[in-house]
Amino acid sequence: MNVLSLRNVTVEYREWRGFKLSRLRALDHVSFSLEKGERVAVIGESGAGKTTLIKTILGLLRPVEGKVLVLGTDIYKLPKKKRHIVTVKIGYVPQSPGKALNPKLKVKTTLLEALEKSKVSEEEALKRVEEAIRLVNLDPSVLEMYPDQLSGGMQQRILIARSLVNNPELILLDEPTSALDVSTQAQIINLLNIIHEKLKPALLLVTHDLPVAQYLADRVIVLYRGRIVEENTIDELIRNPQHSYTRLLIESYL
Amino acid sequence: MVLAVEVENLSVGYVDEGEEALWAVRGVNLKVLEGSIHCIVGESGCGKSTLGKAIVGILPPHAVIKGVIKIFGEKVVDGDKTLYHKSRGKLVTFIPQNPAKALNPYLRIGDQFYYVMKSLRNYDKRRALEEAGKLLKLVGLPDTSYLDKYPHEFSGGMQQRIAIAMALANGAKIVVADEPTSFLDAHLRLQILKLLDELSEKLELTVIMITHDILMASKICDHLSVMYAGLVVEDGKCKEILKNPLHPYTKMLLKVVPVLGTRKKLESYVGEPPRLDEYPKGCPFYPRCPDRLEKCLNEKPPIFRVNGRLVSCWLYGGEYERT
Amino acid sequence: MKEEFTDLQRMFKRAWRRVSFRIGTINSIIVFLMAILGPFIAPYPKEGWGIASPETVERGVQPPSLKHPLGTDLLGRDILSRILVGAGYALLQTAIVILVSPAIGFLVGVVAAYYRGFVEKVLNYFTEIFISFPAIIIALALNTIIGRGLTVIILSLVITWWSWYARITYVRAREVREMDYVVLAEISGVPGWKIILRHIIPNSTTPVLVQAITDIGSVLLEASSINFLGLGFPAGFPDWGVMVHEGLLYIYSYPWVSLIPGFFILVSALGFSLVGDSLREELDPRLRRRWRLWF
Repeated sequence: MNVLSLRNVTVEYREWRGFKLSRLRALDHVSFSLEKGERVAVIGESGAGKTTLIKTILGLLRPVEGKVLVLGTDIYKLPKKKRHIVTVKIGYVPQSPGKALNPKLKVKTTLLEALEKSKVSEEEALKRVEEAIRLVNLDPSVLEMYPDQLSGGMQQRILIARSLVNNPELILLDEPTSALDVSTQAQIINLLNIIHEKLKPALLLVTHDLPVAQYLADRVIVLYRGRIVEENTIDELIRNPQHSYTRLLIESYL
Repeated sequence: MVLAVEVENLSVGYVDEGEEALWAVRGVNLKVLEGSIHCIVGESGCGKSTLGKAIVGILPPHAVIKGVIKIFGEKVVDGDKTLYHKSRGKLVTFIPQNPAKALNPYLRIGDQFYYVMKSLRNYDKRRALEEAGKLLKLVGLPDTSYLDKYPHEFSGGMQQRIAIAMALANGAKIVVADEPTSFLDAHLRLQILKLLDELSEKLELTVIMITHDILMASKICDHLSVMYAGLVVEDGKCKEILKNPLHPYTKMLLKVVPVLGTRKKLESYVGEPPRLDEYPKGCPFYPRCPDRLEKCLNEKPPIFRVNGRLVSCWLYGGEYERT
Repeated sequence: MKEEFTDLQRMFKRAWRRVSFRIGTINSIIVFLMAILGPFIAPYPKEGWGIASPETVERGVQPPSLKHPLGTDLLGRDILSRILVGAGYALLQTAIVILVSPAIGFLVGVVAAYYRGFVEKVLNYFTEIFISFPAIIIALALNTIIGRGLTVIILSLVITWWSWYARITYVRAREVREMDYVVLAEISGVPGWKIILRHIIPNSTTPVLVQAITDIGSVLLEASSINFLGLGFPAGFPDWGVMVHEGLLYIYSYPWVSLIPGFFILVSALGFSLVGDSLREELDPRLRRRWRLWF
């Protein structure tokens, strides 16, 4: 069974301008799937539809056409209030820690929030949180701190830790290293690979950074203006790009 | 060979009303040759943006400055006095990081050029628009109808080109570009870099490019200065540094950057660049340096000259010493 | 919540360096003390409360003297005593409005920002409508329905001011709502009301807080205007605005009767404004400046 499967997904944004309804197609008949343990990257630049894709997968944006199947369940067949039962198995790691960590909450509270709807006891929850923190190479003392007491790299690790707390089958990462320095970026890339080796979740990475995707994915899907223009293994894609946009992208990094 | 910009023992800090100054640049020396493309490379917090702004003369009001900056031999910063009126806009110009912020959203492009040229060169409207048209053509936007449009009507890449044209509108010969491509999509970056390279040749400009991306810098740079924690740790010809980095930090930068097409192992270095208020004694790279010596902990290394390159590292003490 | 406290303390310490803030704070403290102690230290307490007696009528209106440092009004009542008692009423009106309006506005703003769609549209319409209401006209209208008094003043001011805070909150709450930590909470199944309590509210309070403090002076002025026009408290009441109203006809002959309470209104409002302005400067550009250090 596929961990994630998008079938012919089309997402539109609608805006009323006076009496006319303007439709913007953010995703156009997008189809792809991920198997257990696979590492896939969706490469797209600004305007390609990355944010839309993420929101759609998380159950926050209903497509006008197509299906989104998470662990076999069509999540948009479920009412909004029940969707979290399925989406809780997705570990979401958002982009910039500055906007992803509530500055008024301690790290511990933020991490425990991910377990709120699960039926675990308080002690079990705390244990899982501590385990997650250790998995990302942070000392548990960090749990009592507030986000602004920590560096960018540490904040990003906390976000990763939060995604691990529910033993996810799929980890969805939105530009995990774009806000970081190169040296921190390398740390995070290596960390993610170690986590993947240990826990074997499926990884879906959404990014514009092709070199980084190289290290975190085996398969690559190129998104341009809401459409998939190319899909291949990472090595083949770099060696033998088919679409002109892919070629343009690769050239700019060589 | 003429030195376009000379920086001597420059320190720049920011003051928070009555509190101690936090120093972003801590005693930097720099020599930029006329007509060259000189890149200043470093991670966030190293002071490169501050240094760039100090050279142009656009530091914020709560900044304090010490040291000497000379533009074409003329002092524009002397001790704690600033004489930027001599150079700002006339000899040195600036391309900011975010092109959207460089352009006034309420004015048409043509008008913006006009105001800029009127104030510094006293052009009348007709002449200004003519010049503007020529500049836009130089940056790859030959359509004169663009002069009537507003900034928001253009894409990010075009906005950056317009910003570059605007920076050149005053005829300044030194251009400081602060991360000119970081807000652009990857496939546009190369284009902008090539543009800067072309312009530098055509118009005989001196370009000082500030960036965190050492690979990008390597594409058009002649000369490279690597900064860490407010200091220049290595300085020399770009190609040579890339082939043979001397300072442990430069080595780290090159080892840690992912390169497309290779699967080299990405080495993880521990730690992060020090914050402005946590500046350590001695060499700032000490906590993370794999080749550190005992004396690096407490003694800040001076600048050594090694085969035409400048390195601030105790590993090279023994060759010439220089302050 | 502990974080908020130390933030405010730090702000206070920094703001204290500014002269305007020191003046404003001392001024406000004096007004505060006057409000609490006034009725007890007034030399002629009964007169302070507006009670005229045959004695006072005989005394008549008198300019400032040793016996009556601020003079007496048209019914012979000691102005100093009236001022001291009036301080309490000045603060009372202001305090109620400044506490109630932001509370209402804040809630409306937060709810509108979180529950998008219909609720948002309706609340926004209401907010926009009420923003344009002038307090004095409302006071006039209320006069015809419920007569005069404290209720009129409070109602007309709250009706006009809440929407201002609603808009300020809405803008910020909208930003907060788009933050990834809200998204994370949503996909973890946290129910809407909890998200509002845990994420939206704590991160949206700053703009309203700052604005409320800055508005204290203006509210005092508006409340005084309502009283000055005779729409609020009745004549004789210990209120500075009313006092100005009483002396208006004789302002050329006995200027002190109107000018003295007017002076107190002005200086108090100014003091509060100085405090608010300094605190606001601490909160806004301060944050902006800090971030520049890392670039």
